[in-house]
Amino acid sequence: MKRLVPYLILGLLAVGCFSLATVLQARAYGWSRRAQADNILKVLLGDGRRLFANHFFIQADVSFHSGYYPSIFDQARAAQGSRHLTAEEGDPAHEEHEKSMDFLGPPRDWIERFGRHFMVTDHTHLHGDNESEILPWLKISAELDPQKVETYTVAAYWLRKLNKAPEAEEFLREGLRNNPNSHEILFELGRLSAEYHHDPARARKMWELGLRKWADQEAAGQKPDLFHLDQLAVHLARLEEKEGNLVRAIELLQLAIKATPHPEALQRQIEELEQRRAAHAPGASPPAR
Amino acid sequence: MEPIIETRNLRVEFRAQNSGSEKKVAVKDLNLRICGGEVFGFLGPNGAGKTTTMNVLLGFVNATRGSACLFGVDVREPIARQRIGYLPELTYYYKFLTAEELLRFYARIFGLPRAVADQRIEQLLKLVELDTARRRLIKTYSKGMQQRVGLAQALINNPDLLILDEPTSGLDPLGRMKVREIIQRLKNEGKTVFFSSHELGEVETVCDRVAIINQGELKVEGRVADLVKEHQANLERIFLNIIGYQPESDA
Amino acid sequence: MNTIFALANVVIKELYRRKDFYVLFVLTAVLTLLLGSVSFFQDIKVVRYVKEIALLLIWISALVIAIATTARQLPAEREHRTIFPLLAKPVTRGQVILGKFVGCWLACGLALVVFYLFFGVVSGSREHSWPVLNWLQAFWLQWSMLGIVVALVLLGSIVFTAPSSNATICFILVLGILLLGRHLNQVALQQPEPLRSVVYGLYFFIPHLEWYDVRDLIIYDHQLIGWGDCALASLYAGIYAALLLFGAWLLFRRKPLHL
Repeated sequence: MKRLVPYLILGLLAVGCFSLATVLQARAYGWSRRAQADNILKVLLGDGRRLFANHFFIQADVSFHSGYYPSIFDQARAAQGSRHLTAEEGDPAHEEHEKSMDFLGPPRDWIERFGRHFMVTDHTHLHGDNESEILPWLKISAELDPQKVETYTVAAYWLRKLNKAPEAEEFLREGLRNNPNSHEILFELGRLSAEYHHDPARARKMWELGLRKWADQEAAGQKPDLFHLDQLAVHLARLEEKEGNLVRAIELLQLAIKATPHPEALQRQIEELEQRRAAHAPGASPPAR
Repeated sequence: MEPIIETRNLRVEFRAQNSGSEKKVAVKDLNLRICGGEVFGFLGPNGAGKTTTMNVLLGFVNATRGSACLFGVDVREPIARQRIGYLPELTYYYKFLTAEELLRFYARIFGLPRAVADQRIEQLLKLVELDTARRRLIKTYSKGMQQRVGLAQALINNPDLLILDEPTSGLDPLGRMKVREIIQRLKNEGKTVFFSSHELGEVETVCDRVAIINQGELKVEGRVADLVKEHQANLERIFLNIIGYQPESDA
Repeated sequence: MNTIFALANVVIKELYRRKDFYVLFVLTAVLTLLLGSVSFFQDIKVVRYVKEIALLLIWISALVIAIATTARQLPAEREHRTIFPLLAKPVTRGQVILGKFVGCWLACGLALVVFYLFFGVVSGSREHSWPVLNWLQAFWLQWSMLGIVVALVLLGSIVFTAPSSNATICFILVLGILLLGRHLNQVALQQPEPLRSVVYGLYFFIPHLEWYDVRDLIIYDHQLIGWGDCALASLYAGIYAALLLFGAWLLFRRKPLHL
């Protein structure tokens, strides 16, 4: 009997653990949602993972520049943003970026001069097949911080460029699930519907919803995102114009004119549309010049 | 006859720990002269200065004053250590090596040619009875085996002088007897052995001459038989008298 | 020279008989292969992130191996008292320092060879190109840098008694130099005098380990570095390592051997 006592204690402790686990399991769900997370990064890092998300987003930018990138010390001279990641040549954001990336300047001493032989010193951008190299970093960044909307829109831009529209849509939908009020993601989804699915009705739905979300955010007192307002309104206006809804198109361009940095061009377009509307109106006379 | 070990007015001073600039004299003007073929016992209580003297002889510590020579060469010259073997107390040899690899490493340091080293390693492993465990990592050895591998490394260069610091400490009676046998064998081969020990019976059996040191000062030196005759007492009694210990039964 | 290589041989044996190297290699390999097997948007051509992660892990592992292996050398000799039978032989303290340096440096080199072979296989099999010369340059420069690190840690192991404190301080120092060393001149210019001169002095004095980090050049398939520049960087590493070793010898030759 004496020899059995340790085994008996072991058995009792095991039964105790099992019984407590059945009781506590149900309650523990309410204590912390971390353990129930489906994402391993969330389980491991909790909300602290967001701290790393920005690092990986920047890593995508570093990759885009093939390793030529300013450090925090150089950044004092070169203001960085992510807009250049999706800017086409000739775009003002692109020009501005070209200027800001000239951060190296002439070497100050022999150590710096010599050190430049061992680092990337040319400002280049990825092209061709290599453009897909930035995608893993964006995916990791999104995994770490699903609320960082920029990650989804930049990734969608590149996926579209690489003819991966289904992947772009899937990623954007994932982004929308995590950020249901994001007008930026709705705008990108609308572009996919219009340009790849050739489904203007769905695109209109997305952009209209995007405009409503934008208005909600502005009403909530957030800093207005004029860039996306411009984009949403102009794209929707083009769609309406194609569909023949010139009145709505004019309304949208008038909305865009408040947000665009180039109102003159839009004003000319509004005037053109006004003329076309007048020409198409029943019993209309030619517009006076 | 040219002495193998010679110290002249050897003095070693240390800055005592936690006592500012105060100096502690570890060895006071020590004069020793040990000739070839002798087994010399260096005795003294803990902290008497035995290990410090050995450290000077091996070049680990510099003397404050006086001189020390091995084979007539100043101990500060590395060449003075070419013909000596040293067995330190309580050493844990590289546990990631086997006994054979350890001996090969020391043989390489002495620049022994490969064939000579192979032969020497073979002989020594047999001598210290480790030939069956030669390919086992030292970390798996018992304390006695580690002490025996230490003895083997001390003999790798077939030294003319062997310096042993407490060679039997921590060994069981059988291990102690084996070490004594090896010392006896080396003596028969005409080697000089200089060793410190607390085992006075052992010293009495093995040594030709002894020196007793206390508080850094040489108290007695001479042939064991002469000392016993002179003091009309055995070596243990002489030792206890010198260090000023009175057994309760005498008091 | 025989003594130095005998000592070096023991250090190399220690490296491959301990588990540190294997653990780090397996960790590097598993993480790289795991991340490499992830499909990002069904694109199989993506490779640079794998190279980036593999090289980062190789750099961390190499630094850990170099610092941990070197930091324990002299303290272990003193703690286990093997320094006594060693110095009782015709070996000078200078030879001990040099032997330990050569051993640790060669051990790091062997470990790096294994890591770079792995990197080459992973990168080459995905990219279908084998820029062996670029890899060789990266390997050589990293190994040269590890020479400075090993010498620095050896010096540290004489100054600091505990290997753990030495390893921690050296690791922070090396990481600090790798991350900030290049920018110290910029920092100096933003400081008022006399701090500016002090920081600028520091900038010239520190070993510029960041030169040897050419990961970006091989990740993004840039051109080879000029061989002359490589040779100059190797010379700088050699002189800096010699300076640190000389300092280590100056301290060690009078150092009591007992802990």
